[in-house]
Amino acid sequence: MKALEVKNIIKRFPGVLANDNINLSINKSEIYSIVGENGAGKSTLMKIIYGLYTPTSGEIYVFGKKVKINSSNDAIKLKIGMVHQEFMLIPRFSVTENIVLGHEPRKGMFFDRKVAVKEIKEISDRYGLKVDPLEKVENLPVGIQQRVEILKILRRGAEILIFDEPTAVLTPEEAEDLFKTLSFLRDSGKTIIFISHKLKEVMTISDRIAVLRRGELQGVVYKEKTNEKELARMMVGRDVVLEIPEALVKRGDTITSVRNLTVKNKRGIVGLKDVSFDVHSGEILGIAGVEGNGQSELIDALIGFIKPIGGSIFLSGKKVKLINPRNMRKRGMAYIPEDRKRRGLILPFKIKDNVIMGQHNKRPFSRNGILNDMAIESFAEKKVEEFDIRPRDIYTKAANLSGGTQQKVLLARELSINHNFILASQPTRGLDIGAMEFVYKMLIEEKKRGVAVLLVSLELSEIMGLADRILVLYEGVIIGETKPGETSEEELGLMMLGLKKKERVM
Amino acid sequence: MKIILKRLFSRRKEEYWWMTIAVPLVSILFALITGVIFIKITGRNPIRAYELLFGSSGLFPGPYWKNHFAEMLLSSSMFISTGLAFAIAAKAGLFSIGAEGQFIVGGIVAAYFGYAKPFAGLPAILHLIIVFIMAMTAGGIWGAIAGWLKAKKGIHEVITTIMLNWIALYLIEDWLVTGPMKANVATGVSGTPYISATAKLPKILPGTRLNISFIIIAAAVFFTWYFLYRTTIGFEIRAMGHTLVFGMEAPKASGVNIDRRIIQTMFISGAAASLGGSFIILGILFQYPPVFEGGYGFDGIAVALIGQNEPIGILLAGILIGALRTGATAVQLAHIPKTFPSIIEGLIVAFIALQELVRYLIIKLVVPKRSESG
Ligand SMILES: Nc1ncnc2c1ncn2[C@@H]1O[C@H](COP(=O)(O)OP(=O)(O)O)[C@@H](O)[C@H]1O
Ligand SMILES: [Mg+2]
Repeated sequence: MKALEVKNIIKRFPGVLANDNINLSINKSEIYSIVGENGAGKSTLMKIIYGLYTPTSGEIYVFGKKVKINSSNDAIKLKIGMVHQEFMLIPRFSVTENIVLGHEPRKGMFFDRKVAVKEIKEISDRYGLKVDPLEKVENLPVGIQQRVEILKILRRGAEILIFDEPTAVLTPEEAEDLFKTLSFLRDSGKTIIFISHKLKEVMTISDRIAVLRRGELQGVVYKEKTNEKELARMMVGRDVVLEIPEALVKRGDTITSVRNLTVKNKRGIVGLKDVSFDVHSGEILGIAGVEGNGQSELIDALIGFIKPIGGSIFLSGKKVKLINPRNMRKRGMAYIPEDRKRRGLILPFKIKDNVIMGQHNKRPFSRNGILNDMAIESFAEKKVEEFDIRPRDIYTKAANLSGGTQQKVLLARELSINHNFILASQPTRGLDIGAMEFVYKMLIEEKKRGVAVLLVSLELSEIMGLADRILVLYEGVIIGETKPGETSEEELGLMMLGLKKKERVM
Repeated sequence: MKIILKRLFSRRKEEYWWMTIAVPLVSILFALITGVIFIKITGRNPIRAYELLFGSSGLFPGPYWKNHFAEMLLSSSMFISTGLAFAIAAKAGLFSIGAEGQFIVGGIVAAYFGYAKPFAGLPAILHLIIVFIMAMTAGGIWGAIAGWLKAKKGIHEVITTIMLNWIALYLIEDWLVTGPMKANVATGVSGTPYISATAKLPKILPGTRLNISFIIIAAAVFFTWYFLYRTTIGFEIRAMGHTLVFGMEAPKASGVNIDRRIIQTMFISGAAASLGGSFIILGILFQYPPVFEGGYGFDGIAVALIGQNEPIGILLAGILIGALRTGATAVQLAHIPKTFPSIIEGLIVAFIALQELVRYLIIKLVVPKRSESG
């Protein structure tokens, strides 16, 4: 039986064809994955099905019946539920209150908490989704919050469940749990639509996989009959080799040095202790480590968000006296943050405004404090071309760009700022392979130009592929130094867990 | 020419850009309709009430139009000034409710420099310029204090601006006006002395009270637009406002001096509010009275909301509120209390606050038609 069919769906945004004549037919109780690069149109299609966007044209059939979905209320009535990437939970409310909000069981005029709690216990047992109904949501880890979201839509009777990049916010263990849940839901008769750009995940859990590229459906394949390589080719439109080319560059002078840096984080805990290292021109220095071992403290100190309680930072050979972002920038630092929406871009600003942020007060973008639109626009047009930013429309707001494109805008901006040092913090987080490839290419080019790069990453393969030297952070100290050629992912893994040390020679 | 046209239109390419204009217009319409229902329920004649209200509002020609028109623009100038003050701060993500205090600080300073000796003898133009510079500086500093407390001490601007409002009020009414700035008792004047003729705002429409305040405020509207959208500081301020929920981290990481910008923004906001205070003293009252009937600061918040925090919007919203106030007295002829226009104003704000609902209704009504015809 068909749970959901979409026919000839077209969605046009100004300047972009986000969905170009999409036809999908999804069976009841299957896990149907949709993969595609950032900006392929996956979220747009899901938002159409969930009633958040109206399609430019096309038809939707739910359980064989032609329907019009004008709002998420319509979707819920048709037993369609969606788990959004940003959860829609109220932190101060309990699990139970969050789940029943809007559809509370009542006794007379009043909210019947007892019945509600009992009801939550029941569905959470039925689907094996363990939660404490009385706990406040703000005290829960992200994985459990997601569980609450799932329970919320199950309680409203959802038969078709949409997950838009649900693993983006999860740790690997939490993702494992989620996959178990998804399989269980499928086996109990629910239909699952699973969006991702991580091929490994898709290959683990799907029954069938649809591939989108630039708004077009490239094909639908059974999991058994395909492999990651084929999917990647369909997604990107050519063979993708995420092997990072070796770039031999003679390492030059020291550009950036950190000496005995000790940093207290916002919670008042000393997160980084007595850390020293140098980054040279033409070198990528990788910082490996499990998340939360001092990376954010190191970054915050380097960009000037936190004043270190000890030690010093030297940029371009000079000690930075007053540590704040402005001074760091003045001395040639470019910064690629891990959270581009928070620390990188001004989302409501247009592409043209975002690419000049930070240089807006320099010529030719402004004179005596007055912006020069002509200069800004021609610069933006140039960058959009150079970095292959799609759409080519410099008036598009950054908020309406997909993650990969946002990252390109950010790179276009940071790399055009006068710099000799790049602080790159998880520069490929949340990106698909096509965009990752692009970021790697840019970093290697910068290295060839003689720029010093500090790469902080949680991805071992990224560090092993890009870095010339690797420092391992563990509990706020550098537990060892090594080189990609002299170590293995296993050994690095052990060092990251603090189980192995390596002497440093400085 | 082609480039200009392309710029004008290509910038508007976002979906539903016209919502910024449609939402306030529809909200005003809803408010007027709700007003009809109110009047109807209380058994009076809504058509007659609106006839009287708008007939004497100054917006439309009619009996005594010239006077109504002049009065409308006079009071609009004040509303626009406090509306700008709120909007400038709001653009930077600051919720300032200090316009009330900055308004009266501007007023008392304008009064002082309007009558005080060495200045009162100056030629008119020079005298006026000095008075305005002093009033705006004082109002600006009053705002900047809140900015400084926010930037350096992290105290929320809502708290500090409210406190500064009260401080201003008590300083002026309980000390200055009854103490050092009190008029000579022998002249029989209460409040401060009257300002000299050289400090009075020149009239521009014979037979009415209309003076150059509206021209000044129109220039201020343009200046505000230019400042926000054409200068690098305005660029930074808007970036800060847009990233408020993220602790302004993105502009900060790009090297924007957030603390300094907060203080500057609050200074400019305060200076804008002090303009209104100067207008009322230099153009209407000619002295600072012992008890000042305020409220312009809070009306400014409404004006900014209706104008969607955009300078042009505030100009139009300010004129609307000015018109409603001007027509207020006339509605009494229909046996409706003269506070009725304030109710309308409140309703408009309420509907604007329900933006999402209004947006939804507009889309429901307009969008299907568009896709059928297109
Ligand atoms: N509200 C919008 N306005 C304009 N363009 C949009 C909007 N939402 C998405 N887009 C554009 O549509 C395309 C598809 O985006 P999206 O569906 O979010 O991709 P995905 O989820 O596959 O990463 C992108 O080019 C994006 O910039
Ligand atoms: Mg998406």
